Amino acid sequence: MNGEDPQERPDYIRAVINGLERYNPEAAGTLEAYLQLQCEEKFCDCNANRALLKLYQLNPDRIKVEAVTNILVKAMTQFPSPQFDLAMHLLAPATSLPNANSASELAEAVAKLRALNAQLEGAQYSLFWATLANDSDDIYADLTTDIAGFEDLIRLRIAQLISQAFREVQVSVLENWLGLDDEEEVKKFAVEACGWKVGEDGLVQIPKNAENEAKKSEIREDVTIDMFSRVIKKAWEETA
Amino acid sequence: MSTFQTGMAPMRSMGDDSDVEEEALVADYKEQVQYEDLDDLDTSNSLAHQPDDLQARLTQAALPLEFSAPLEAKFQSYDAYCSLFHFILNSEGPVDLEPPSYYWAWDVIDEFIYQFNSFSTYRARIARQGNSDDIQMLRENPNTWGCYSVLNVLYSLIQRSQITEQLAAMKRNEDPMAVAGQYGSKNLYRMLGYFSIIGLLRIHCLLGDFSLALKTLDDIELNKKAMFARVMAAHFTTYYYVGFSYMMMRRYGDAIRMFSHILVYVSRTKNFQKNAQYDSITKKNEQMYALIAICVAFHPTRLDDTIHTALREKYGDQLLKLQKGGPDSLPIFEELFRTACPKFISPVPPDFDHPEANVDPIEHHLSVFMDEVKTNMWSPTVKSYLRLYTTMDLKKLAGFLDVKPEDLRSLLLVNKQRTKQLRWTDHALLEGELVNVNDLDYALQGVSYCPSRTRVFLGEIVIVLTSKTQDLIHISEAKVGRKLVDWYLRNLSRTYT
Repeated sequence: MNGEDPQERPDYIRAVINGLERYNPEAAGTLEAYLQLQCEEKFCDCNANRALLKLYQLNPDRIKVEAVTNILVKAMTQFPSPQFDLAMHLLAPATSLPNANSASELAEAVAKLRALNAQLEGAQYSLFWATLANDSDDIYADLTTDIAGFEDLIRLRIAQLISQAFREVQVSVLENWLGLDDEEEVKKFAVEACGWKVGEDGLVQIPKNAENEAKKSEIREDVTIDMFSRVIKKAWEETA
Repeated sequence: MSTFQTGMAPMRSMGDDSDVEEEALVADYKEQVQYEDLDDLDTSNSLAHQPDDLQARLTQAALPLEFSAPLEAKFQSYDAYCSLFHFILNSEGPVDLEPPSYYWAWDVIDEFIYQFNSFSTYRARIARQGNSDDIQMLRENPNTWGCYSVLNVLYSLIQRSQITEQLAAMKRNEDPMAVAGQYGSKNLYRMLGYFSIIGLLRIHCLLGDFSLALKTLDDIELNKKAMFARVMAAHFTTYYYVGFSYMMMRRYGDAIRMFSHILVYVSRTKNFQKNAQYDSITKKNEQMYALIAICVAFHPTRLDDTIHTALREKYGDQLLKLQKGGPDSLPIFEELFRTACPKFISPVPPDFDHPEANVDPIEHHLSVFMDEVKTNMWSPTVKSYLRLYTTMDLKKLAGFLDVKPEDLRSLLLVNKQRTKQLRWTDHALLEGELVNVNDLDYALQGVSYCPSRTRVFLGEIVIVLTSKTQDLIHISEAKVGRKLVDWYLRNLSRTYT
């Protein structure tokens, strides 16, 4: 998974973001359509999306609120990574620090998404699912509606991160973290989607990988012949 | 002085810790400073045949304008730049001019961007405070010092000079002149084009586009005797902005490497720096130490001895608090970020009708940055405990830390996820390989167990069986072997000098 420069990026998008076309306000349409494609096809091109945010930054009259929030939600699915923050940095200052009395529609949405992103970045996964579930005004439902398979993308990502930290994990922990309804569903997901094993003792076993081993290691000094060049040169000069 | 190509040394690859790079740069700089007086003679001769008016305009373009200069002066200065760049870019064929001095091209681009930056800051301040005369004038001229025109100038200079093609040729060890074209073969265009690339790095950073900032330098190879290294201010600026961009992309190791390189270089050249140039970089120097403090808090690492000593001298107290983490560290992060960040700008005119709606861009970027700081706030505490054990019960550790076991699980995950960082290897600045940057690694294991507690009671053995689950944390610490060869070489070279 490469959310920065994905393989799916077509040539015409590559031409836009690598050339001066990225400054042409008319290119916004192309990038918006491409964003739509990412939302439908479940891939993510944060680099191209930032080019769109940049156009909005330079031409605020062109801002489309849905496009901005979709970009943020897409970036959020890349957690943990700086993608969400990098997108945030391109928004107008007033959207991140809204005035209590003059908060725009965009600023409100951004504040909501930032809270959600902080939970994912902070590995507070149960809180994340709870926040989505207690969405009384359907705000989160609206914000994520364009992103096909949003919850599945997040769930898979969480599972991947769990596999990088755990050797064995309780089903109850998984249930909370993956936002699933009951133990049977958890076991099904663990076996079918992740390829993990469920033990008889109610523990899910995760296969060994480079990350969950915590092997002891020693960092040794790399010595190359180049390092000696100065000393040898000096010694040569002294004697000469 | 038209000896640009001699500045391009063949490629060398050096380890992170080697200071050969800095040493070579220092020697080169020393030599250059010695020849400078000769240079001045040279250029005054070559300028003699140029019309006075044009010469005055070239010199004028590189002269600093005060931040507090009246608005009219800022407008006039903008017009002067426009007409000068128009003349250089849109005359029939390349204009036949030699830059007034070796530093001129850098000074012009530097001053051009500085004025754009300070104009934007000034405009935003007026909008917040309200000064009716100035507001009227700014309203009537929304395009003066516009972001699009500034970007246009820089990109045009880059294209006209074919500098991208020239740098690519140099990278392949070919003659850049072969691809320079009629403009790029002239000193004036080549230098303006080259420094415009660094100008773009700066503008993108000021606008908060940190990855694009680093992408801009794709064609320039750092850590070598690059062209900019001959102009101290350019060298310095480049590393500041590259380092800052890395920091904002959470590549703290790379950021520290950038800041350390330039700070070591400055500390070694300060004895033969010309005073005026040195004064102007003292402030940035302090700022970079503050940024190193932030990066080290995120990513503890061994620093160069010189840097380490200076850092403790300047920001000792703050660094201690940063490294301790927790809520007490937050105000320190904010304070250091504010003093050390670039003067961020907003590319569009502010809302003059609603002064209160104009938020200072620095506050915006700071608030986004602080999100990540807050996420990591407990990592130092967690790490300090983990260091003491090889196996630990999660509930017990949660008790020590006074948090719920569920929350500790999250903290452990956060800390573990952040130990993987992209680190630059040998290619473009944005690329790198994912490495584990922490000396502490751990894995979690939920286990169910039936402990048998044996109690001896009045000679009768009672066995209490409890069945429950617990989480174990398996911890391993990577040992850093002593760098004996490095130490030996450093000391040996000292005995020779």
